[in-house]
Amino acid sequence: MNTKFSLSILMACACLFFTACIKDTDFDQAEQIALTPIVELDLIYFDIQANRFFDSINSTPVLTVRDTTEIKFLDDGTLQESLKRAEFYFKFTNSIPRDFLVNFQFLSEANDTTYATGTPVAQGSLAAPVVTEFVENVEGENILLLTQAHKVVVSVSIPSSDETLEGNLNLKSKTTYFLEY
Amino acid sequence: MRNFLVIILSLVGAIATSQNKQILYGFDDIPQSLMLNPGSKVLQKKHYGIPFLSQIHVNGGSSGVSAYDIFKNGNDNINDRITQKIFEMKNTDFFTATQQLELINFGWRSQSEIYFSGGIYQELDFIAYFPRDLAILAWEGNRDYLNYEFDLGEISTTGDFMTVYHFGLNKQISKKLTVGARLKLYSSMFSYRSVNNSGTFVTRLGDETSENIYEHTIQNADVSVETSGYSSLRDLDGAGQVTREILGRAFFGGNVGVGVDVGLTYEINDAFTLSASALDVGAIFHSKDVENYRAHGSYTLDGINLIFPPLGEGDPTFPYYDNLEDEIKEEIPIDTLYNSYVQFRPTKLNASLSYGFGRFNGSGACDCLNMGNNNLHKQNIGLQLYSIFRPKRPQMAATLFYQRRFTDFLSAKATYTVDSYSYSNIGLGMAADFGKLNFYIVTDNLINYSNLAKAKSVSLQLGFNIIIDEE
Repeated sequence: MNTKFSLSILMACACLFFTACIKDTDFDQAEQIALTPIVELDLIYFDIQANRFFDSINSTPVLTVRDTTEIKFLDDGTLQESLKRAEFYFKFTNSIPRDFLVNFQFLSEANDTTYATGTPVAQGSLAAPVVTEFVENVEGENILLLTQAHKVVVSVSIPSSDETLEGNLNLKSKTTYFLEY
Repeated sequence: MRNFLVIILSLVGAIATSQNKQILYGFDDIPQSLMLNPGSKVLQKKHYGIPFLSQIHVNGGSSGVSAYDIFKNGNDNINDRITQKIFEMKNTDFFTATQQLELINFGWRSQSEIYFSGGIYQELDFIAYFPRDLAILAWEGNRDYLNYEFDLGEISTTGDFMTVYHFGLNKQISKKLTVGARLKLYSSMFSYRSVNNSGTFVTRLGDETSENIYEHTIQNADVSVETSGYSSLRDLDGAGQVTREILGRAFFGGNVGVGVDVGLTYEINDAFTLSASALDVGAIFHSKDVENYRAHGSYTLDGINLIFPPLGEGDPTFPYYDNLEDEIKEEIPIDTLYNSYVQFRPTKLNASLSYGFGRFNGSGACDCLNMGNNNLHKQNIGLQLYSIFRPKRPQMAATLFYQRRFTDFLSAKATYTVDSYSYSNIGLGMAADFGKLNFYIVTDNLINYSNLAKAKSVSLQLGFNIIIDEE
C-alpha cells in the first residue's frame, strides 16, 4: 500500500465530507404550513321552566328573561388572529305552548355590542315538544366583530304568559371553530 | 406552533442523529474509542486531545420522517405531505439530538501497565417521542374524531445538558483479556423530562339525557413535567445572563450525578476478538433549583349552564365563566412541586465480535502502531450490537463492519448499520497520524450524503489528538 494510494483515499473522504449537501428541497415552503384544525366545542345550555315567565308574587307576566355570561376565550388575541369561521348551532326543545324570540347579543368588555343574532322558537306542548334548530354562520369581516366579544347576553322573550303556563324551554348549543395557524 | 414544527423538522434534516457511534467503537487507532469501551485495547503510550477539538460529535435523527419527506420540491401541497406523515408515523417514532464536545481528553500508560485516562466533555441529549394523537388533534381538531380517545400518555420527552468529568483505568490483565472501567461525575446544567404520562381526552356526542350537545371529557389525566435548572433562569434578563448562569453550573454549580462505564476485550484466539461495554450506568440527582408541574384528575365539560336568576335592575348575574374555570382548576389541578427527583442516564450497551486476518507490519523500520506483544491485524470484519435505554423502550442497532489498516499512519473502517432509522446506513471512518498529530473523522449515512435532506439520521464525529506511541 503506497502513500500515494493512501493519500488518494484521504482526499476522496475529504471530498465526500465537503460535498454533502441538501437538495431538491425548498425550505421556503415552511411559509405555507398552516394548521387548520376544526374544533367542536359546547357553548351554553339552559332549561327554563314556564313559571319563570310569570311573577307569582306580583301576579304579573315576565315577558323577557335575560342572563349573561362571560366568554373570555373569544376576545383572546390568539383566537382573533386564527379564527376564520365560526358556526353556531342552537337546538331548542320547547314544550311551552308559546312562540319565543331568543336573542344573542355579544358585548365587548366595555359593554358595546359587537355582534348580535337571534331566532324565533316555535311553540310546542307538554305532550309534543317541538324542536327548533338555528345555525348562525360567522365569517369574513364579522369574525373581527365576533372576536371582540367578551360576553354574551341571552334574552328570551315570550309574547304572553299566565300562571297556568306549563312546560319548559330547553337549549343546547355548540360552536364549530374553523381555525388557521 | 408552526415555528416549532419548522425548527424541529429543519433540525432533523440538517443534522439528524442518535447516540450510536458504531464507527468509532472498536476503532483502536482513535484514542476516543476508549470512551466507548473502557476495556478496549489501547495502542498508544500517551495521548492528549487538542482542547475543544479532540471530539466534536453531533448526531440527530428522526425515525419516522426526513426533511425531504416534508420539504421536497413538488406540485403537491406541503400541508398534504404533513397530514400524510402524521398519519403514517407511530407513537413510538421519535426525534433525537445529541451533541458532545470534548474539552479535555488525555491518557497515559503507567509503569504498572495501567492506561489511565480522563477528561471533561459537555453533552446535550434530547429525545421526544411523536405524540401522534395530540398531533392529530392539533392538526385536524376534534370534529372528525368524535368518540375517539386521544391518548395524553403519548407525551414522552427528556432533555439534558451537562458537563461530564471522567477518569478511567484500562489494563490488559492476561494475554487474552483487557478490562477497563471509568468513573463519571455529571454536573447537570439544565434538565427536563415528561415521562410516564397517562389519560385521555374525548369528545362524545351527547344523547337526549345529556346536558348539552357534546361531552368533552378528560379522563384520569396524569401529566407531569419535571425540570431542574429552569426556575432560576425564568427571572433572568436576556440570553447573555442565561448563558452565564448555565455555564456557571458546568463546574458542579448545579445538580450532580455519578455513573460508571465498564468494558472488556477478550481475544478468543488469534483471529476472533470479543468485546463489550456498558456506558453511563448512573443517575443524576436533581435536588437544587427543581420545579415540577403535575396536572391530574378527570373532568367533563358541558359548556356554560345559564340559569336565568330573577335579578333586580343592575344586579350582576352569576360569574358562570369564572366558576367554570375554578371548577376545572379544582378537578384537574396543576400543582407546582419542588420535590427532588432522580434521572437515570440513558445507559448504552455495545458488543462486538471481530475476525481479524493478515498481519500488519507497518512499513518497515517504524512499526508505530504495533506495540508490545500485540500483533495487529491488517483487516478486521465483524458484527457489532448497540442498545440505548430510552423512556419508552430501548433503541437498538446492528452493524457489520470492515476495518483496514492501510499504512502505519492511515486506517479506515466501513460500517453497514440497521437501526430504527433505516436499513441502509453505510458509514465510513478514517484515522490518520501526521507525525504525532492524530486526526479522525467518522460519519454515517453516506448513501444520503449527496442529499442530506433524505437522511433520517446523521452522525458525525471528528477530532484531533496528540498521540505518543510506544518507543
